[in-house]
Amino acid sequence: MALSKDELKLAIIEKAKKSPKPQLYIKDFYECDPDSKPREVKNVANELVRDGELMFWSSGSTTMYARPDRIQDEEK
Amino acid sequence: MAKHETPLLDELEKGPWPSFVTDLKQQAATKPECWDILGQLELSYRDRITHWKHGGIVGVFGYGGGIVGRYSDVPKQFPGVEHFHTVRIAQPSGLYYSTENLRALMNLWEKYGSGVTNFHGSTGDMIFLGTRTENLEPLFWDLTHDLKQDLGGSGSNLRTPACCLGESRCEWACYDAQEVCNSLTQRYQDEIHRPAFPYKFKFKFSACPNDCVAAIARSDFAVIGTWKDNIRIDQAAVKKYIACDAEYPANGGAHKGKDWGKFDIEKEVVALCPTQCMWMEGGELKIDDTECTRCMHCINVMPRALRPGAQKGASICIGAKAPILDGAQFATLVIPFIEVNKENDFEDVVDVIEKVWDWWMEVGKNRERVGETMQRIGLPTFLKVMEVEALPQHVKEPRSNPYVFWAEEEVPGGWERDVVEFRKRHAA
Ligand code: HEM
Ligand code: HEM
Ligand code: SF4
Ligand code: SF4
Repeated sequence: MALSKDELKLAIIEKAKKSPKPQLYIKDFYECDPDSKPREVKNVANELVRDGELMFWSSGSTTMYARPDRIQDEEK
Repeated sequence: MAKHETPLLDELEKGPWPSFVTDLKQQAATKPECWDILGQLELSYRDRITHWKHGGIVGVFGYGGGIVGRYSDVPKQFPGVEHFHTVRIAQPSGLYYSTENLRALMNLWEKYGSGVTNFHGSTGDMIFLGTRTENLEPLFWDLTHDLKQDLGGSGSNLRTPACCLGESRCEWACYDAQEVCNSLTQRYQDEIHRPAFPYKFKFKFSACPNDCVAAIARSDFAVIGTWKDNIRIDQAAVKKYIACDAEYPANGGAHKGKDWGKFDIEKEVVALCPTQCMWMEGGELKIDDTECTRCMHCINVMPRALRPGAQKGASICIGAKAPILDGAQFATLVIPFIEVNKENDFEDVVDVIEKVWDWWMEVGKNRERVGETMQRIGLPTFLKVMEVEALPQHVKEPRSNPYVFWAEEEVPGGWERDVVEFRKRHAA
């Protein structure tokens, strides 16, 4: 059974906190719940950005997600 | 900001062609940060390494694309390019601008940025080059509120869809490229503004096989107009071309002004047909349309005599890309013919798009374009996913891959066979 949205949010935040890589691709979050469709995982991850729990980092050609305190900020 | 000595860049001002070095020097008169672009680039030429840092977290609230962060790694030396972010602005369908709109855009960019632009990037957007982080939100506010325009896509987003001018001006259009481009842009706002995929994904729409937006080379999903029935021939007009009637110039008059000699239909049309499916018979031009690959050559040469057929639609080719991981590749023909119908909100096309996305989001690796996923997994599997029967048109060249795998259900009788029976016909 797929996780509920709130459970999926918690699992994604957990992964973003603990993962050895500070910045993750959307696919890295698929493992948080193999039963959720990629599109649902994407929607929840993007919602977490709006909630302020995650931030986007973009090279211009690709986009990664990270916790605000783990993201690489070129301005710091 | 001081001028810098740029002897290497100055070389690029020599010669008869336009030079971005000259342009930037001119722009530096009002935007002195342009001196620092030149200074930093000169340093890169000397050091043989880029001095731009790659990427960052800049963006505007609620969007996960449209702005690409760029920072100098030598900001003390070149403070004017400490931040030099790029803003992608969605272009109008078919690139129709009013001068009023262009002026408003330029005023906006003079106010908030360097004034340096690129019309248009390979994705299709207008590219505004060079601004600081603190200018992004005010720029976005004015763009969306005063000009009612939007940012385009970047990163792992759907990129700003692009189209040819299609039915608005072009008699060869086989579907309404601007309409479908606009309609899908609206439909997929979320995918354009927020990352959704393993990597970038581009749609491009050309309304005929002339492919004026180079969809087949530059997009993951190329919708290229085509027709199902026969090229429409006006034999009276063919005769006018052959007679070199001044009203019927070859190539629509595009090659006027030089003496190319008398128009020769055999040499310039029939012999150049790539599938050799044309011939002259009793003064009439004949085409075996079952062999025609819709290359457009004959139609381009004799536009008053030949027209695309009447049963119009599009072919869908998937998976073009520029060389990043491995070489550049053109898109592969997947759907030979599809209806492009506004009445049903282009549902046939939408169906194909979403099948591709569902599969690629699942199977594609990080930073893998869909064309690379197709190559890695193989076309036979991809066609199964797309629920398309394999057709001769899918074959790029015969016998290049001996590893064709049959599934048991594809073989009459399956894997079981009566060896005794077989040996009666075929001695060991
Ligand atoms: C008159 C006798 C034969 C003729 C005219 C003939 C002709 C051909 C031709 C035209 C090909 C296809 C070449 C290609 O386009 O790749 C071929 C392939 C082949 N032939 Fe023959 N062949 C003859 C006898 C034999 C014999 C006696 C053997 C083996 C005992 C043999 C084994 C093969 C094999 C293994 C291939 C490759 C098949 C493949 O690539 O899938 N041939 N032959
Ligand atoms: C240790 C022994 C062998 C090795 C390592 C070997 C290796 C290979 C390799 C690498 C290929 C090329 C496959 C490709 O990329 O197209 C090949 C093709 C072929 N081999 Fe062998 N082979 C061996 C023994 C044999 C024997 C004993 C025969 C015939 C009696 C044979 C007949 C063929 C044929 C007909 C092809 C062509 C297949 C095709 O074109 O589809 N091989 N072999
Ligand atoms: S792609 Fe075809 S239809 Fe579109 S503008 Fe070019 S020639 Fe005309
Ligand atoms: S469109 Fe191209 S392939 Fe078709 S008949 Fe004309 S020249 Fe030949």
